[in-house]
Amino acid sequence: MANLNETIHQPVRLRIMAALVALEAGAEVDFTYLRDLLEVTDGNLGAHLRKLEEAGYISVNKVFVERKPRTYVSATPEGRRVFQEHVAALEAILKSR
Amino acid sequence: MDISPTEAEEALAAIEIMAQKTRHSIASSGTYITLIVTGTIWLIGFICTQFLPEISGYVWIGLSVFGSILATVWGFRMGTRVRSPATAVTARRVILFWLFLILYCSATIAIAWPLDGKQVTMLIVLFALVGHLAMGLLLSFAAVWWPLPITALVLASYFLLPGLFYLWMGILGGGGMIVLGLYIRFRW
Repeated sequence: MANLNETIHQPVRLRIMAALVALEAGAEVDFTYLRDLLEVTDGNLGAHLRKLEEAGYISVNKVFVERKPRTYVSATPEGRRVFQEHVAALEAILKSR
Repeated sequence: MDISPTEAEEALAAIEIMAQKTRHSIASSGTYITLIVTGTIWLIGFICTQFLPEISGYVWIGLSVFGSILATVWGFRMGTRVRSPATAVTARRVILFWLFLILYCSATIAIAWPLDGKQVTMLIVLFALVGHLAMGLLLSFAAVWWPLPITALVLASYFLLPGLFYLWMGILGGGGMIVLGLYIRFRW
């Protein structure tokens, strides 16, 4: 049986991963768009993204678009795999009730 | 790490809500702006055609240029929010699709000529609605349904109210799109 992932299970990080995994593989989302979608502050989102990036679950890509800096975030293949395992573990707990 | 079944259920619900919200946000953001812009163009253009037919040609040209510029700017803005390897290819295909649709619409009008103003309008509007339907089917299934009631309104105005055709197209067709767009933006 798959194990729960403590890094992902934190509520904000869980929602970040759910949003990123809902995109097609390889797609990346703008930081401000993700912030508005999650309804969190810049600082809060930044802190949780750092944790996920350190774990290798997301990739953060800083680029210039029209000479303005933009930050794009995407789920890595490892992040997608771990997230699916976490969901499977949650479903298993639910079934065991 | 141990959690209760209730906590697991809550976490799964949060995941489902977030995934749906993300997909919905991406699908609806393109739809509502398309509806509001197209609806505004129809509203102004058709009311002008009904009451000021002598200047309506210039109004339509101006509205078409305005709509094209707005669509380009909005398309670029949307493209910077979510980027994917498939986006550039899809954008090229979408542009080609609309160019071919314009060619096919022009060919149909040329074959069916002579036509009166209402018939030309109907053909252009029906081709445009087929285009929007195709975009919905190919790009975002959530946006597929809105051309169908608009088509029904347009056909009803053509066959049932020929004397008020342009006014009906402006108020119900254009106004209907604006209302739908606002509904999707604020309530959906």
